[in-house]
Amino acid sequence: MTLTGIVDVHHQVTGVPLSWYLALSGVLFLIGLLGVLTRRNPLLLLLAVELMLNSANIALVGFSRYWNVSDGQIFALVVMVVAAAEVVIGLGLIVAVYRQRLALDVDALSRLKG
Amino acid sequence: MGERIFFAIAALGIISSAVAVITLRNPFRAAMALIVSLLSVAVIFLLQRAPFVAMIQVIVYAGAIVVLFLFVIAYLGDRPPRIGIDPLARYQVVAWLAIIGLGIEGFLALGNSRLPGIRSNPFQTADLGSPQAIGHAFLDHFIAAFEGTSLVLLVAAVGAVLLARRAVLGERGR
Repeated sequence: MTLTGIVDVHHQVTGVPLSWYLALSGVLFLIGLLGVLTRRNPLLLLLAVELMLNSANIALVGFSRYWNVSDGQIFALVVMVVAAAEVVIGLGLIVAVYRQRLALDVDALSRLKG
Repeated sequence: MGERIFFAIAALGIISSAVAVITLRNPFRAAMALIVSLLSVAVIFLLQRAPFVAMIQVIVYAGAIVVLFLFVIAYLGDRPPRIGIDPLARYQVVAWLAIIGLGIEGFLALGNSRLPGIRSNPFQTADLGSPQAIGHAFLDHFIAAFEGTSLVLLVAAVGAVLLARRAVLGERGR
């Protein structure tokens, strides 16, 4: 489908332009990235990663509407599954570290450092 | 106009609660702020005509995933913060520089985009987000992704069990 095809086939409706969604997605991604870069508690680090995944989902669903195909929404659902798996493994690692009686701080986990 | 007002309210909720997530020291409060953020993202999904994704966002994300977070936070209890200076404190300025640089880059990319209609009202779309449309898309075109998600979940479950087992063996079954 060509770009002009979309413009010709569908008429515009009042709503939110795609660029607003992309701007919101970018701001949310930057906030999450700042959290990942500055926090040292692994729990808060995982929460910041969730923010970044959500910002990607906003952009994916926004483009899904823009191109009038459902691929982006499917992609967003798969991202949610990956996020669930990532949280399960991440929290499992955090609990395993806690059971070794180590401090909850990613900088303290430097035993594997070369 | 009404959609834009809803968008502004939801965007304000997302950004303010996201800032709370990365600034609050208490993990429990940060997880609560994350719930507000995730629910606001669900409102954004509704505005994008994706009701099924919005419902999954509420049920799976704000429901299951955050509850898992809260469970682990309650299990670990209140942990005192690590005493001493942060060895990475002097690199924080680099993090801020990276954030500002990426922000400028994104602003320029969005401002110079030549996609048609990106800054005007959206076009009318077909039914994309209903459970029926999502189910058809999954089973007609994305069956491999559908099967792949089940594999990912299986690997995650097995990995979590192995992690827990190794931790128990590491302290001799205590």
